[in-house]
Amino acid sequence: MTGKNCVAIAADRRFGIQAQTIGHEFQRIYGMSDHLYIGFSGLATDVTTVSNKLKFRLNMYMLRENREMKPETFMSLVSSLLYEKRFGPYFVEPVIAGLDKNAKPFVGSLDLIGCPMITEDFVVSGTASEQLYGMCESLWEPDLEADDLFESISQALLNAVDRDCVSGWGGIVYVIEKDKVTEKILKARMD
Amino acid sequence: MADGGQFSAAPFWQNGPSPGQFYNTPGTNLASSQLPRTYTQQPIVTGTSVLGVTFTGGVVIAADTLGSYGSLARFRDISRLLKVNEKVAIGASGDYADFQFIRDIINQKVLDGKCLNDNYCYSPVAIHTWLTRILYNRRTKINPLWNNIIVGGYDENEGSYLGYVDKLGVAYQAPTIATGYGSYIAQPLLRQSYESNNNNFTEEQALSAIERCMRVLLYRDGRSGNQYEVAIITKDGCQVTSPKPISTNWDIAEYVKYV
Amino acid sequence: MAAELKKAIYPENATIGLPTQHRFDPYTLNGGTIVGVAGDNFAILAGDTRLSEGFMIHSRDTSKIYKLTEKTFLGTCGFQGDVLTLTRLLNARLTMYEFEHRKKMSSTAISQMLSTVLYYRRFFPYYTFNILAGIDTDGKGCIYSYDAVGNYEKHTYHASGTASSMLQPLLDNQVGYLNQEGVRRVPLTIDKARTLIKDVFISATERDMYTGDSLHIVTITSDGVTEDHFPLRRD
Repeated sequence: MTGKNCVAIAADRRFGIQAQTIGHEFQRIYGMSDHLYIGFSGLATDVTTVSNKLKFRLNMYMLRENREMKPETFMSLVSSLLYEKRFGPYFVEPVIAGLDKNAKPFVGSLDLIGCPMITEDFVVSGTASEQLYGMCESLWEPDLEADDLFESISQALLNAVDRDCVSGWGGIVYVIEKDKVTEKILKARMD
Repeated sequence: MADGGQFSAAPFWQNGPSPGQFYNTPGTNLASSQLPRTYTQQPIVTGTSVLGVTFTGGVVIAADTLGSYGSLARFRDISRLLKVNEKVAIGASGDYADFQFIRDIINQKVLDGKCLNDNYCYSPVAIHTWLTRILYNRRTKINPLWNNIIVGGYDENEGSYLGYVDKLGVAYQAPTIATGYGSYIAQPLLRQSYESNNNNFTEEQALSAIERCMRVLLYRDGRSGNQYEVAIITKDGCQVTSPKPISTNWDIAEYVKYV
Repeated sequence: MAAELKKAIYPENATIGLPTQHRFDPYTLNGGTIVGVAGDNFAILAGDTRLSEGFMIHSRDTSKIYKLTEKTFLGTCGFQGDVLTLTRLLNARLTMYEFEHRKKMSSTAISQMLSTVLYYRRFFPYYTFNILAGIDTDGKGCIYSYDAVGNYEKHTYHASGTASSMLQPLLDNQVGYLNQEGVRRVPLTIDKARTLIKDVFISATERDMYTGDSLHIVTITSDGVTEDHFPLRRD
């Protein structure tokens, strides 16, 4: 979700095999660089693999170029990585949130074969995406301040995952601002 | 000779059933008796789009006169419109045999009504609701009447009436309706001209909108025919016009090159 | 050669002489969304007025809200053929009840009857999703929601239909105060409920193809019924 000079990304923390929950501290959001975060919904093993591959490619870029990667560029990187496996894809649907060097917020999402989508307001992904659309469509408004953005994204997440049987078990929110990133773990119903 | 040589008679009842078994008449042991019972599961002779438009003081419905047998233009001059009485007409796309079946029932009902000599005649709503029930009941028996039907009518008290019902029993009323391929091509055109006309047509405007749509359908719908009938229902009664040819212009055809 | 030719004409798995089995599908989904909210002295039932099938909009002004009695309304979406049949059947049953008992059926009684009517068709269901709204015998607003085969529950708020998954979490949050701490839970007023319903439908229309055109809102109180129409996106 975008705000005024800030951006937020949030996810639930459930780790499950179909209906069976086997963990509630699963980390599906990765900080790629200071102002660039990516979250994945989908198959946990692919989440780990893809995030590692991305981190590797991003590091190589930064070493070679000696500069930060723009969020748009990072999205192209994710897109091409996913499309390499066009006919045997990684089962992940990534969501990217970041700030560029002028603190302009960026959010975008991709499907599992790397079709990118960049929006001005919010992107959602995963089993609770319909619920999230309903929440975000009502709670989001332009130019939210960091605190309000946190409140909106948290309420959107919590209420959406509560109406999805296979999401929930806690939540985690990152609010990314120019000079700081706030990580907050949300207490939620554990059923 | 007891050894069954060439001079001995063949065993008696050679091809017959064993004692106590039934005789197996050739051709009856086919799978047909073991198959699940099948009903109309696809239309055979079909009619394409029917269009309907309301106007101030009446309704028009139109349909071309082609009965297709798959991609074959099998019957070129059959009527898909039915005048029910002075207030109501219907038009049907889909299976023509099913339409004939419905037509026969309606004609009989109207005749029965006339015999009562009570000056009562079915209103547009009555016909529409009745058709909806008939089609819904048949779909519930998994034996559908494969039609999309448009009911058009005018009643002094109720005004213009235009209704739709399909083979599943989905039914609604609307100021403009098109079935089949026409729902993709004609319905947007009809809606556009109706809405840009302040949701109000005169009879002439309705007829010219219909003519335009029938022409577009003739150009674009591969199963359409080159003449169409129109039923006009107003306070003065209901009349189905004789088939009217659609004029076309193929001048640009020679400029179209396929390379 | 002959065998090869035969194989070419009749591929191996083709059953010769048997009719191809096209299963006729007796259902279709005509889309639409309904929302019910009950307060202390009122019940609101709202639904969009779009009737669609696949990518086609049949009608932009077919209401999903049906009047059953003076104070009981039914919102229903799903397969329109079944919707029409179900509402007719209910009206017939209500008329019979009125003649037999010389009074109107209460909202609570209707809620049980609807469940029975739906379950009667357990193995060939009415493909309809219903919300019943009315005033109970204590004068309080009540909402009942149903699945296609008659499972039902009393709620204070509920969303059904194609956009239900978008609306329900928002109602949880805004009407049920779920996941909100330290907030004063003020009783819902008619105006607030109506505004909220408009807002959730505006949101749903943004993301759900099958919801839109216009919103029909019925507000039921013990004093009477008011109906409103509110335009929605038509795309």
